[in-house]
Amino acid sequence: MFKLFKKDKIENIDNIFNYLADKYGGGTDPWGLNFKRAKKYLNMIFPVFKNYFKVRTFGIENVEDKQYMVVSNHSGQIAIDGLMIGTAFATQVWPPRILRPMVERFFTNLPFINKWASECGSVLGDRDNCQNLLERGESLLIFPEGVRGVAKSTKDFYHVQPFTKGFYRMALKANIEILPVAVVGAEETFPYVYQAKGLAKMLGMPAMPLSANYFPLPSPMDIHIGKPIKVEQSLIDQDPSDKELDEHIEKIQATIQEMLNQGLKNRRNYIFKKRGNKNE
Amino acid sequence: MNNIKSVLIIGASGGLANILCGILSRKYPHLKIIGVDTRHPRVKITTPNFEFIRIKYTRGNFEKIFRERNIDALFHLGRMSHSKSSSQSEVEERLNLNLIGTNKILELALKYQLQKVIILSTHHVYGALSDNPVFIKEDSPLRASIKYPELRDVTEMDSICTNWMWKYKDQLETIVLRPCNIIGPQINNTISQYLRSSIAPMPIDFNPTFQFIHELDMASIICNCLFDVKTGIYNVAPEETITLKEAKELVAHSYVPFPVSILSPVAKIVKKLWTFPDYLIDYIKYPCIIDGRELMRNLPDVELRFTTKQALKLLRL
Repeated sequence: MFKLFKKDKIENIDNIFNYLADKYGGGTDPWGLNFKRAKKYLNMIFPVFKNYFKVRTFGIENVEDKQYMVVSNHSGQIAIDGLMIGTAFATQVWPPRILRPMVERFFTNLPFINKWASECGSVLGDRDNCQNLLERGESLLIFPEGVRGVAKSTKDFYHVQPFTKGFYRMALKANIEILPVAVVGAEETFPYVYQAKGLAKMLGMPAMPLSANYFPLPSPMDIHIGKPIKVEQSLIDQDPSDKELDEHIEKIQATIQEMLNQGLKNRRNYIFKKRGNKNE
Repeated sequence: MNNIKSVLIIGASGGLANILCGILSRKYPHLKIIGVDTRHPRVKITTPNFEFIRIKYTRGNFEKIFRERNIDALFHLGRMSHSKSSSQSEVEERLNLNLIGTNKILELALKYQLQKVIILSTHHVYGALSDNPVFIKEDSPLRASIKYPELRDVTEMDSICTNWMWKYKDQLETIVLRPCNIIGPQINNTISQYLRSSIAPMPIDFNPTFQFIHELDMASIICNCLFDVKTGIYNVAPEETITLKEAKELVAHSYVPFPVSILSPVAKIVKKLWTFPDYLIDYIKYPCIIDGRELMRNLPDVELRFTTKQALKLLRL
């Protein structure tokens, strides 16, 4: 418990922040990212990243110094996976970067939360926003499963839900590489969940999880970064139909599912299973 | 287009129009410039090629000017902006002037075969909504009046002008400008009043980004549109943005931090006691950032004289 509150410093912190300051420093960007505040929040979140969720990051060698569309499975009822991926890319990967996670529309209406999230780099998940950010050299973090991914019942854990197609069209338009990421461990932050879809619909909510716990449990997480995937070059500057995109999107989906399956084999034990080895 | 010998500026007493009159008079000494307004001129312009006429905005008066003065081009800067009051009579007056008045002016421009019409709209037409993308382009839908009917005149006036522009594009060159927030010592619009005020609420629960353009830069751009920009709708804004909090800190000596998400329900109650423009609250909650690159492609040699911070600091004076 005390380890959580131990003020762990990010390794190589000066180099990381100097690099990020050069890129993002000087006030707030048009989408609300404020590097000074993002740095403050990063310092606050890092102990949680390191000591509470004990995040390990694999596949760092797959990340080069270029723009990516980071595409990940979505899990954990609330966007903790997004927070952890963002922290990993800012502190564990070189060169570090502030990913721009795309958030749902209802998010931008939330007082305080929207302000905090946009200061950290999150943006509205809108095609125009996506295009404008890509034009300006930003790397995006996208969860193509959307709410279906994050709001799963226990029985559906680690089954990647069907991807929407918008992200691939954007990637084609910008001719940008897709970096697949699989997060293992976020599902079990809320291990026993039932999604009351009927109730959610009645209340006009995107989801209504009925959970045994409402505070995320310290499930150890692994972030697996896969090899970048080039978009289908023959479809660039075309207007492909949904059917033409399906094959390529399903490939990415299958890649992430496979990464999850492999990740599950090598994951650490956690509170709900037997005590695992301490070699972390 | 180089045959333009005389221009008419509607709303010439306004701060921005006043500056435009001065710039046009000096830049094009051969041009005959006529300024009209219902109000007295703010600053007397003494250049020999400028004439100010105080008129009532009636069709007859405008027709007389068009008929007698041989107008070649028109700058319509006479849009009535929002006041604190949203009383029925004020709303009606605004609708009358902005919609019916604009329509009549465009009809006259066509009837008297003007060569060019430049209309000043506003970026407010896009609306301040939580799901606004950043860098809204000119072909984005105009959503200002979705939530608040009080903003109907803003979008409808813009729509009248753009419809006119497309319908008569072979007969009349029309430019519709949608500028971001214009600020400067001569401008006394809502945002300037808000920024200067030490008691206006400063949101602590939202922190939208804003774009500002100095009145001199805006007037220069309007002037450049006369000869250098073709028919079209153009956003006018720098790439630079600044948060509302940073802007307020540059201008006001102090401010009142307040959770603006409770301001709307409070305003509804307060409104029963005194008029309050609750439809403007969203503009201090959500961003309305526009993409101004299209216009700058038409004006590649134009550079803005004032950065955002410089423009805001000048507002403090």
